[in-house]
Amino acid sequence: MTDQTQTGAMPRPRRAWPRIRPARGLGFALLALLALCAVAGPDLVGQDPAKQSLLDARQPPSAENLLGTDHLGRDMAARLLSGAQLSLSLAVLSVLTAGLPGTLLGIAAAWYGGWIDRLLTSFADAVLALPGLLLVLMLAAISPGSWWALYAGISLTLWVEYFRYTRQRARIVMAEPAVEASRLLGLTPGLIIRRHLVPEIGPGLLTIAAFGAATAVTAVAALGFVSVGVRPPTAEWGVMMTELLPYWREAPFLILQPVACLVITVLALHLSVGGMRRP
Amino acid sequence: MTVNDTPSSDTPSSDIPSIAVDALSVFFGATRLLGPVSFRVAAGETLVIMGETGAGKSLAAQAILGILPKGLRAEGSITINGRRVDTLGPVERAALWGREIATLPQEPWRALDPLMRAGPQVTEAHRYVAGLPLEGARKACARDFETLGLQGAERRLPAALSGGMAQRVAFAAATAGQAPILLADEPTKGLDAERHARVVGLLAQVPEDGGALLVITHEVAVARALGGDIIVLRDGRVIEEGQTRHVLAKPQAPYTRDLLAADPEAWPKSVNPTDGTIVLTAKDLAVTRGERVLIEGFDLSLRAGERVAVTGPSGIGKTTLLDTLAGLIAPAQGSVQRAAGLGRHAVQKLYQDPPAAFPPHVSLERSLRDVARLHGVAWDRVTEYLTALNLYPDMLKRRPDAVSGGELQRISVARALTVGPAVLLADEPTSRLDPITQRQTLELLAEITKDQGIAIVLVTHHVAIAENWAHQSITLRAPA
Repeated sequence: MTDQTQTGAMPRPRRAWPRIRPARGLGFALLALLALCAVAGPDLVGQDPAKQSLLDARQPPSAENLLGTDHLGRDMAARLLSGAQLSLSLAVLSVLTAGLPGTLLGIAAAWYGGWIDRLLTSFADAVLALPGLLLVLMLAAISPGSWWALYAGISLTLWVEYFRYTRQRARIVMAEPAVEASRLLGLTPGLIIRRHLVPEIGPGLLTIAAFGAATAVTAVAALGFVSVGVRPPTAEWGVMMTELLPYWREAPFLILQPVACLVITVLALHLSVGGMRRP
Repeated sequence: MTVNDTPSSDTPSSDIPSIAVDALSVFFGATRLLGPVSFRVAAGETLVIMGETGAGKSLAAQAILGILPKGLRAEGSITINGRRVDTLGPVERAALWGREIATLPQEPWRALDPLMRAGPQVTEAHRYVAGLPLEGARKACARDFETLGLQGAERRLPAALSGGMAQRVAFAAATAGQAPILLADEPTKGLDAERHARVVGLLAQVPEDGGALLVITHEVAVARALGGDIIVLRDGRVIEEGQTRHVLAKPQAPYTRDLLAADPEAWPKSVNPTDGTIVLTAKDLAVTRGERVLIEGFDLSLRAGERVAVTGPSGIGKTTLLDTLAGLIAPAQGSVQRAAGLGRHAVQKLYQDPPAAFPPHVSLERSLRDVARLHGVAWDRVTEYLTALNLYPDMLKRRPDAVSGGELQRISVARALTVGPAVLLADEPTSRLDPITQRQTLELLAEITKDQGIAIVLVTHHVAIAENWAHQSITLRAPA
């Protein structure tokens, strides 16, 4: 008395976590490389990113200075690595501090509904009404050149996306009969979130996180470039671009380097989640 | 499967059968999922393709329309109104829809545009498919609404239509193009008794009006009502074919006999209601939706081991009633009382759509182990339940979408049993299963609840199931 296991079954893919594709593999490889660079920092090339040597200014790559030297004779490779450290740690931190509360508040709004939902949603809408960069600029103006202001500003603008996405998906999932069944069967809230919600929103959250990290990296560089964010002599990609801009004719190779770093980082982040379910 | 009656002479293509399928097969890679199937349905004739879920019935419909899912491939020839169509490109085949061949899809209310009012949807079909000028299309739509008893529904959005009305709107839209062939895939799925009869009546009208009717169903009652010719499919192969009347009266293949025996009308009647202790009482219960009172003065004393069936038209509030009994919704009026000593999880539910009742991304084993762990039930006990329900613990490695509906519904019974319930509330648990599986599932459910002294309330739209399977049957009617 066994019934057939759907002989006419369509090949129905229902995989939450997609297989790694070549483009995503490349993204992951680049990310791993960048992470390695950021963790090792300037030690990787054994040079001090702040040490000036005006006699050796704007030197082409050599055995000693792998990527040449900038207008003050500082080692480019060491400065780029130091910049990677700053940008990536800021990106990771802001993703965590935006993602965690954003996601948890989203779940809370969907779970409790009612006035809690309304309150959180209005708050998120209020934050959304403020242009993101403006908030960062305001905070940067309060505490110019500080790393913390940048970080706080970026996190404060980015959490809304996690909140909105999680809330919207969670509301759908919570309304499913499967969740009702789990509640009747006595599953704890934590277990319901883990079994029903996390697989459903995980891939989407990862995508938002990667895009958010890319936004954070770009924002840091953009603010550094317009001299609002991190200040010289800190080695930061945006700051380096500003410093090297005057020399773009004589030494295009120099300004190209921080630009390339930025492009590669953003590209790696986007590639790594490419083809994933989009929010 | 040719019937040699000459079709009525007033149809334009009177000498050509409306649809002829010759050696149609559908493949997934090298695996044959369907076929070979051959049949001809001429104007004024009816053909019913019957079989259980997974028998490949819908594949036949998809192959005829040219909408097979990606990865599937059809072989054989399909001729519609004398024109070979399987060799045509997708755009040319789409041009046939509504004009040469119309389809009434499964659960037609899902085929309506949710953001468009009912009238315009039908008018649109008259205008763009049949090519009438706007005024003419409006008139044709009004005429349709009148014939189908839908007056006044023109301005309503599909969400504001009842299931039966949505079905008739879909029927009007599907047939607006005057296609001589109507293909209906499970047209009665999920309908209550009254609507069921009405849809069958609509379909039966098609051959009488000179159309060719091709119906795909798993219901014996539909085949019996429509008559004509029948093809019985199993695992994609033709098991038996012939005139419906003869096949139903004298089935040759054992499988056809099983299928007929699974018809709830043919089930033996349950006797001897139990005298177990009362586990759940509902007194003067009312169920409302918004301002509307759906059910009033509902009383129930449910005894251990008892089987109660609740029937009534769609939209009467059967599901809301179950949720109220389950304690998920506070009663609008009256009370629901569980017997003393029954815990929070003593009332469990079974759902209409089994895949929707499980977390989709988690293996079944994990879902069941969660429940067993939380209730301190040994895993061996769970596997005992599974065995009792004719399931293999091996299949639990899969995800909910990788087992059949019948298996999954039995797994959900096992899951509910793990909690040790006193009451099971089952909301149309077998309406999406084919007849043989339905009978098996309900028989097992009856057996196991009797053994364990569990009371069960079954919501069903199938009057025969209510009468034959349950000890007690309650029919809900809208309050006057």
